[in-house]
Amino acid sequence: MTGSAAASQEIRDTARPVDFRRPLAAAAVYFVLMSVVAFILFPIFWMVSSSFKPQTELFARDITMLPVEWTLESYRSVWQGTAFPTYFWNSFKVAALSTLCSVVISMYAAYAIARIRFAGRYAFGMLLLITQMLPHILLVIPLFLVMQRLKLLNTHTALILAYTAVSLPFTVWLLRGFFEAIPEELEDAAAIDGASLLTIFHRIILPLAGPGLAAVAMFSFIRAWNEFLFALVFLQSRVFFTLPIGLASFQEEFTFRWDLIMAGASIITVPVLFFFLLMQRFIVQGLLGGAVKG
Amino acid sequence: MLSKQRARYAYFLILPALALITLLKLVPTVEAVLVSMQQQSMMRPNPEAFVGFAHYARALFEEEIFWGSLRRSAVWTLGSVAGSYIVGLSLALLLDREIRGRTAFRALLLVPWVIPDVATALLWKWLYGDQVGIINFLLVKFGLVTKPILFLADPALAMASVILVQVWKLYPVMFVVLLAALQNVPRELHEAAEIDGAGAWQRFRFVTFPFIRPTSVIITLLGAIWTFQNFDLVYLLTGGGPADATEVLPTLVFKKGFWALEIGYATAIGMLMLLCLVALSVAYLYAYRVAGQDKEGAAR
Repeated sequence: MTGSAAASQEIRDTARPVDFRRPLAAAAVYFVLMSVVAFILFPIFWMVSSSFKPQTELFARDITMLPVEWTLESYRSVWQGTAFPTYFWNSFKVAALSTLCSVVISMYAAYAIARIRFAGRYAFGMLLLITQMLPHILLVIPLFLVMQRLKLLNTHTALILAYTAVSLPFTVWLLRGFFEAIPEELEDAAAIDGASLLTIFHRIILPLAGPGLAAVAMFSFIRAWNEFLFALVFLQSRVFFTLPIGLASFQEEFTFRWDLIMAGASIITVPVLFFFLLMQRFIVQGLLGGAVKG
Repeated sequence: MLSKQRARYAYFLILPALALITLLKLVPTVEAVLVSMQQQSMMRPNPEAFVGFAHYARALFEEEIFWGSLRRSAVWTLGSVAGSYIVGLSLALLLDREIRGRTAFRALLLVPWVIPDVATALLWKWLYGDQVGIINFLLVKFGLVTKPILFLADPALAMASVILVQVWKLYPVMFVVLLAALQNVPRELHEAAEIDGAGAWQRFRFVTFPFIRPTSVIITLLGAIWTFQNFDLVYLLTGGGPADATEVLPTLVFKKGFWALEIGYATAIGMLMLLCLVALSVAYLYAYRVAGQDKEGAAR
């Protein structure tokens, strides 16, 4: 995106330069920054470090920072000795399917809002915005009743529907921005050649909106992967549990088995961290676009 | 293409989204209003009996728990937002210089924000533990305390402990948005103030802060909206305990609805919570518009 290049250029131009004629000052800045980062990221380091320790070391009287004896034992136990793999694949299935639904549904809606003038366009946009503000804790009660009526309680379908609906306002809003950035002249030329609206959309717009679709897909996926409350309310059978509620239930099922819990917590974090590092720039922009314009 | 025909296409294109939003957002919202005025309780028969504002009256005038939870929600929200704003701003000021590895530092400092809530909660429980937790281990080792602190089990400390976790999770948003806002501060003004003999605090207060004030208002309100309705962290860390010390409105709604099965009453509390959120949202939209006008004014 051109915006990001401009933004980083701007950062370079206006940020206060560190005075490198005074190497001590520069070193001090680095020292402070690194200490702060180390302090703040310590909990994550601790989670990962704990997950590689043998149980005896984990509960030893003298706590060690890094494992003295590195082992994959806790990962093996959590994967082979518990229902963790079931939770993992349930989560993967629900997140992947709801991502697919929300990308497909929101790309058409976003294109309509971005390019077509129709009565109710504004109202539709407002509907998306307003329903986004509903707190989930309030929404989950009537949603529970709706799912009960539809006989969807304790199914993954309920979660996929709910996650899609919940992420729609955001995905439509984000994709709309991507579509609007594509020059309209491209479409006009195709329209003169007699291409239909959908052909134009599929052949011209979608290929150009690749990064936008990827960003939206990752947002939806992460959101569904992390979601806790709806899963907690809709699902009753352990075989259907997703990772967040499955992992939370470890607290009662395996009290004091922090080796299992930390290994599980590390595993649930990995895909999210991976996507984040991949999409870091988009995420920062999304945040900035959402909170402060310009 | 004819614009009428295009418009007809538009309705087809938005139909799936509209259907889903209607079924899973609009209908439930209307239903929430209705349910909050119905009996809907496991203790009594005839769930659909109309009870008017009885549940609201019970929450507002008969039971202390709603006001108590509202007060704790306020403490939880204010504490988390103030804490994460201070941390986020300090880090933004620290990183607001031209140094190598700036992007990497920014990415690293954002990481806590993306850790899944359930992992965050479990990991902090592990840090906070009284027998094997690293924090207590270090405190005892360096002789700062004689016996382990019960971070989550002591009613006097539990709220502060969950707030600290939320600060850890929320500061990255404040940090990255404020860092971007700091780019708007003209460097010449800083230099001029320095020449005029302004100290570091004075330069921040009278040069930097006026430029980041609109952003600060917006991001703290947004943080407040998110924190006020956050259920996961409190529920997973303390479940609202010990002895209701961290019972905030979201955990109260959940317990009344799904543990006590008083769905009508729970929804009424949820609606009251929504009113507070609407007030925050209105303030947010107002701040957003004012900030936009300021920007236009500055451009002119």
